[in-house]
Amino acid sequence: MLSVHDLTVSIGPETAPLDIVAGVSFDIAKGEILGLVGESGCGKSMTSLAVMGLLPQPGPRVRAGRVLLEGSDVTQLQPWQRVEAGHGRMAMIFQEPMTSLNPVRRIGDQIAEAVKVHDGTSGAAALLRARELLELVRMPDPAMQLSAYPHQLSGGQRQRVMIAIALACRPQVLIADEPTTALDVTIQVQILGLLRELCNRLDMAILFITHDMGVIAQLADRVAVMYAGRIVETAPVEALFDRPRHHYTRGLMDCMPSRNSGARRLPTISGQPPAPGTVGAGCVFASRCAGVREPCRVASPPRTGVANGHEVLCAFPLNGGVAS
Amino acid sequence: MSGDAILEIRDLKVSFRVRRAGRKYQVQAVDGASLSLAEGEVLGIVGESGCGKTTVGRSIVGLVQPDSGAISFRGGEMIGAGGTKLREMRLNVRMVFQDPYASLNPRRTIGDAVAEAGDINGFFKSRAERSAAISATLTAVGLDPSFAARYPYELSGGQRQRVGIARAILPTPSIVIADEPVSALDVSVQAQVLNLMMDLREELRLSMLFISHDLGVIGQISSRVAVMYMGRIVEQAATRAVLDQPLHPYTRALVAAIPKPDPTKRILGAIETGEPPSLFKRPPGCAYAARCPLASDRCLVDVPQLRPAGTDGRAVACHNV
Repeated sequence: MLSVHDLTVSIGPETAPLDIVAGVSFDIAKGEILGLVGESGCGKSMTSLAVMGLLPQPGPRVRAGRVLLEGSDVTQLQPWQRVEAGHGRMAMIFQEPMTSLNPVRRIGDQIAEAVKVHDGTSGAAALLRARELLELVRMPDPAMQLSAYPHQLSGGQRQRVMIAIALACRPQVLIADEPTTALDVTIQVQILGLLRELCNRLDMAILFITHDMGVIAQLADRVAVMYAGRIVETAPVEALFDRPRHHYTRGLMDCMPSRNSGARRLPTISGQPPAPGTVGAGCVFASRCAGVREPCRVASPPRTGVANGHEVLCAFPLNGGVAS
Repeated sequence: MSGDAILEIRDLKVSFRVRRAGRKYQVQAVDGASLSLAEGEVLGIVGESGCGKTTVGRSIVGLVQPDSGAISFRGGEMIGAGGTKLREMRLNVRMVFQDPYASLNPRRTIGDAVAEAGDINGFFKSRAERSAAISATLTAVGLDPSFAARYPYELSGGQRQRVGIARAILPTPSIVIADEPVSALDVSVQAQVLNLMMDLREELRLSMLFISHDLGVIGQISSRVAVMYMGRIVEQAATRAVLDQPLHPYTRALVAAIPKPDPTKRILGAIETGEPPSLFKRPPGCAYAARCPLASDRCLVDVPQLRPAGTDGRAVACHNV
């Protein structure tokens, strides 16, 4: 459904570009959730914005690579050009629903606005569809909530409204950028359940971006781990948690408090991620890696297939033992 | 428990007056919370947004004025204290804040920020003594002394939070109130800062009140935990007991909703917990009743009080467990 090839997003002058996303590739099938996980600044949000065609301008630009939606190249098209050209449909939801909603408009009107753009319907018909969408996202009391303002809703309900707006275009691909990070856990579990249900029911491809390995384990079918603008490991979710092959993935899992209950000290990954542009020759993770060897500091590591659907960007991958 | 308690909170009530749509409301942020922190202990307070956990922390250091209740530090009452007594308590009970970006003055150097409590209280007799104290404190939190001359914008989130901790420990306090100190940090950095806090607790013999929404983090650092919901403590017990065998229906939902980092144990769709009621319309009876699978008629009218349940000083506020 969605296919991203060698996507490179750069900032800075044409002559000396800094790659903040460097050669990212992945595919997502219908009815599949790909989890993209990484820490702040690793480039995961930039990847999603580039895929959506929503990179802020002026600023970062797609320097190389292609984004294919149902086989058509949409890389250099703005969202409205994609709609006009009749390409596949994509929608996106964000972390903080309050800043994405207009505070002075009723939510029914905000959903209906998206319906009008995509369905060409107007007035009552659009509102009727808005109500259907609210039912689809399991908003309690949808008919009443059409006339509510965003401030009258809870954080979880606002995120449901954002999902309803995203669904107005009947997307084939939904990009969710940390949609539950601002929510409490008891609400988060409901929104994650809703996304899984919608994915199955509407046969969407979902790109789910998060920093939370727990959320990934709960929701994703496949996982791409991102570090310093690169995807360092891709695997089916069970394989990744069972046998992480990249030292960074393993480190991320090991330092989760919930995997270490009762331990005296938490394992850590020493140091900090490199700033964009400071990456020299060799592996981007070399300076923090527990398994670093001499070649890692001079040559870029190869992308190696270690098992079916399991790839790792490492010259000396872990041979897998269960993560403690 | 109260014998060796260094900090004791009894029946704390805090309310805020807010205006919404031209009308005035009274929001009861904390509605009768009692806690005691033993010497050398780390007590966790866990709960979701709006449950009042931060307000409890801020009441202790005097950043908000409680309506009623008592907060005593080593037997001395803190609410309404003034003069030297207040000053002494403030140096002994220090706070680490959540957002390392908002809690540092962008125009002051790290050294000035760290030394502030000392400057105000006349700790330093000479410039040399002051910079020695800054260096020692920065080293204690794992930063190079050269950071003293830098400004907050030059630091990463993890480094800033280390500075936040350095500010708190400079006057060698006995208690640190840490309000979500690692929530704004990435997991790999979060682990480093948690390790630092555990080390400092041991080295400086700190007692700690650790406020967090994250039961995973609480499980790591605290030995006992109080679970808050809508301004009240609904369960209090040893952390292991709460994680392994939660009693209160809310604690059960909270524990069950933690996204487990194990794809073979998926919980999605298994939990439908509803949403908390509005703070403006606190229901009579138990605040959790509307979401609770165990709710009975009594829960709708009668507020359950925290009562002992089992051993280890465990307590739970529920009619039906």
